[in-house]
Amino acid sequence: MSLGVVRSQAIGTSIERRGTRARLRGDTHFAADLNIAGVVTAVVLRSDRPHALIREFDPAAAKSTPGYLGVFTWRDIPGRNRFGIINKDQELLVERKVRCVGDPVALVVAETEEAAQRALSKIRVVYEDLPAVFDPEEALTDAAPRIHEKGNLLGRRVVRRGSPEEALKHSDVVVERTYTTSFVEHAYLEPDAGLAYIDHNDILVVHASTQNPHYDQKDVADLLGLPEDRVRIIQEATGGGFGSKLDLNVQGFVGLAAFLVQRPVRMVYSREEAFLATAKRHPLKIRYKSGANRDGRLTAVDVTIIGDTGAYASYGLAVTSRAAVHATGPYEVPNVSVEAIFAYTNNPMAGAMRGFGVPQMAFAHESQMDLLAAELGLSPLEIRRRNALRIGSQTATGQYLTASVGIGATLDAVASRWEEARVEKQSTRAFVRRGVGIASMIYGIGNTGMQNPSTAQVELGRDGFVTLYSGAADIGQGSSTVLVQIAAEALGLKPDAIRSVIADTAHTTSAGATSASRQTYISGNAVLDAATKLHNVILTEAAMMLKADRGDLELRDGSVFLRSDPGKGVSFKDIAERASRTGLPLKWQGYFDPDTTPLDPETGQGRPYATYAFATHVAEVEVDSLSGEVRVLKVTAAHDVGRAINPLNVQGQIYSGVAMGLGLALMEEFHPGVTESLKDYHIATAADMPAVIPIIVEDPEPTGPFGAKGVGEPALIPTAPAIANAVADALSARVYNLPMNLERVLKAGISVRSAEKEKSCQGY
Amino acid sequence: MQNSDIDLVNIQFQLNGKPIRLSVRPFDSALAVIRDEIGLTGTKEGCGIGECGACTILVDGKAITACLMLAPQLDGREVQTIEGVAEGDTLHPVQQALLAHGAVQCGFCTPGMVMSAKGLLEANSHPTREEIADALAGNLCRCTGYVQIVDAIEELAGSPRANEAVKR
Repeated sequence: MSLGVVRSQAIGTSIERRGTRARLRGDTHFAADLNIAGVVTAVVLRSDRPHALIREFDPAAAKSTPGYLGVFTWRDIPGRNRFGIINKDQELLVERKVRCVGDPVALVVAETEEAAQRALSKIRVVYEDLPAVFDPEEALTDAAPRIHEKGNLLGRRVVRRGSPEEALKHSDVVVERTYTTSFVEHAYLEPDAGLAYIDHNDILVVHASTQNPHYDQKDVADLLGLPEDRVRIIQEATGGGFGSKLDLNVQGFVGLAAFLVQRPVRMVYSREEAFLATAKRHPLKIRYKSGANRDGRLTAVDVTIIGDTGAYASYGLAVTSRAAVHATGPYEVPNVSVEAIFAYTNNPMAGAMRGFGVPQMAFAHESQMDLLAAELGLSPLEIRRRNALRIGSQTATGQYLTASVGIGATLDAVASRWEEARVEKQSTRAFVRRGVGIASMIYGIGNTGMQNPSTAQVELGRDGFVTLYSGAADIGQGSSTVLVQIAAEALGLKPDAIRSVIADTAHTTSAGATSASRQTYISGNAVLDAATKLHNVILTEAAMMLKADRGDLELRDGSVFLRSDPGKGVSFKDIAERASRTGLPLKWQGYFDPDTTPLDPETGQGRPYATYAFATHVAEVEVDSLSGEVRVLKVTAAHDVGRAINPLNVQGQIYSGVAMGLGLALMEEFHPGVTESLKDYHIATAADMPAVIPIIVEDPEPTGPFGAKGVGEPALIPTAPAIANAVADALSARVYNLPMNLERVLKAGISVRSAEKEKSCQGY
Repeated sequence: MQNSDIDLVNIQFQLNGKPIRLSVRPFDSALAVIRDEIGLTGTKEGCGIGECGACTILVDGKAITACLMLAPQLDGREVQTIEGVAEGDTLHPVQQALLAHGAVQCGFCTPGMVMSAKGLLEANSHPTREEIADALAGNLCRCTGYVQIVDAIEELAGSPRANEAVKR
């Protein structure tokens, strides 16, 4: 049945992000800002050993601390002491042994934070140290200490296609290099926090800073041995997450403590604890061999990826799969061999972080593209153009791309800046070299080769107002606003006229995690589905009330009008009143699960994602070859987002990604056991930022809500490789390890300087 | 708790234009007193060691990280927190500029950012883009990439509203 005409300009407009005014006024409550009568504080006693058995645990001395309420261990956990998003390999409180520094040993509850810390300091733990392993390749040897009973292998993923060995043998040029990346801290500005209590219905309520309320609900219920509907998770305003707040951080602890002491309990991580106890970006070691022919076309790649997931899996398997699938970048490669092997070590847990391994892979495949271009005498832009995926291309997993393949358009979009920058790049200062780099990326929207549905409801209330219900956690990226814009467009409303109820498990159904750049595409489609159903009902009712043909109706600003007689119409309120008299439901559910297939375990072939985002960045840098300092001057960033539902939000994501990508490229490295806080971990500041020119490319995705795909993670992915290529251009020497800190850049530069010196000496 | 054996310090200061009298422990930070004793939670704690700027307040018009200031040092000062910046429903020009530029994402750094920008404009009503970036370099933000924030303040600094921003 056809829908009515909609007059709305909700899509493609930069409406104000929901909740911004309150945030600007300081009125928004984050979890640490919540207060409730009688609230007490929980803190966690954490291991200072990387791998050890707990031989003795003696909390006796803590009990005399004024304000003491309890010390709890794994024995006090009423349910199943296992959790984790993919592999249930984490213990809320460890039972027998600790597997990394920071592992939780006991939970201490007291009247105040100070009392809890004092009590914690009096607990005596005797450990028996075990041999530990900190290198993933070493962890996979027979001699390595076993971290988990099942062994140290987390998982292995392969992608195989064609005859890569044969193709490499016959390629005109072959380039092989090894790339490494480091542990990276998410460094969201709001340290993890939560508050839990048991309400008047005997339901455990947890207010938390989270990206994943419906997953939290399941794991907290399991830990406490409660049915899911006895646990309610309310996502408070969340001060960034970037993947780390997909894990259960404080939720289990405050839930357990509230359950055991029967008092409201709060927990706020210090920055040091957030550094110590939450997930990091996986460091990858990537051996990358690629071949190409004189025509500039890639013939084959052969890639081995070693990943360190630390002591626990978290999202490690998702990173393994995604790294393998994205190894070829946004290019047609007929012959592919990729093997990704991820291992447990006694390092801190690595989990999801903005891009799930793709930023690391892009560093490798984009460095390779420039190396091949140099071998072939092609410009870096040209080699990318010749190999870019297009409609009709097959990806490394054998998926045919049929629409919205905007990689070529992003290359075109940056081409003029690329050419200009290459001309302008001459430096006038001694020892300061200018360089220009380009890098592209592909990113599959949503989870890899598995179901990851979203649901939503849209309701017309008796007062004539529409309310959107979505479980999608908005962690600052703006999904709540975008989802409202989608509902508004489908119903001919102004976005301001729509109320929203977001991320409260008592009032919303699961939208899946806020991860994998999936909320606009997947939850947006669920919202569109729900709103379309409501639209249909409104239309049917209006047609009856107006005695008109459905085709002659138009939804506009909360009323349905006759197109043939625009003065005649009926309001949503009148429709709602009539429907409630006749018992017609006005709350409709929407559902969307992207069209994917599981990947073949032997070959990695299949349809892992329903749609892909594409991007290209051009970075212009200045490198001081005496100090190794890299200054990024400008980043031109073109992103194919399908359709920009809120262009200002999309630009915000691009700026954000460039900042995080700059950090990944130049300064961010978490050293396990050394890095403690923001004093020794540096992220980009306002003074580090280059000029950023965001370019939005819209190649609409037919299955996307009004054509939209996603941009959250794509924004970050090309920046570091573009900077790496620019540094290589400046120095005529390449850095193969991220971050490209002063030491690494200097070292790369020295080899060039000594070569030059030799040359100039020869001249005399 | 356990205050009986600690000599409290009596302090009085102006907070958002209103007089405040308090007894504080000598080692309490200004941030802890503002958040926990006075209950103004708009000022955020992001690191506790003066690295992130989320707790920035204005003390005698100057941007200060409240986590590094001892509460007794507030005595006799004129203090402004984010809660004192807007006038009723009317946002301060700095807040309006950030709103118009989409310069707020998660919002956790926002109060501190507003205070630093306000402090800058009070000292220098027409800063250059570079001066703005330098003045805000002590306020970390992980969401926005700073561009829209600096754009907002730059536009405000170049407009007649900059003087209004100073007056308030």
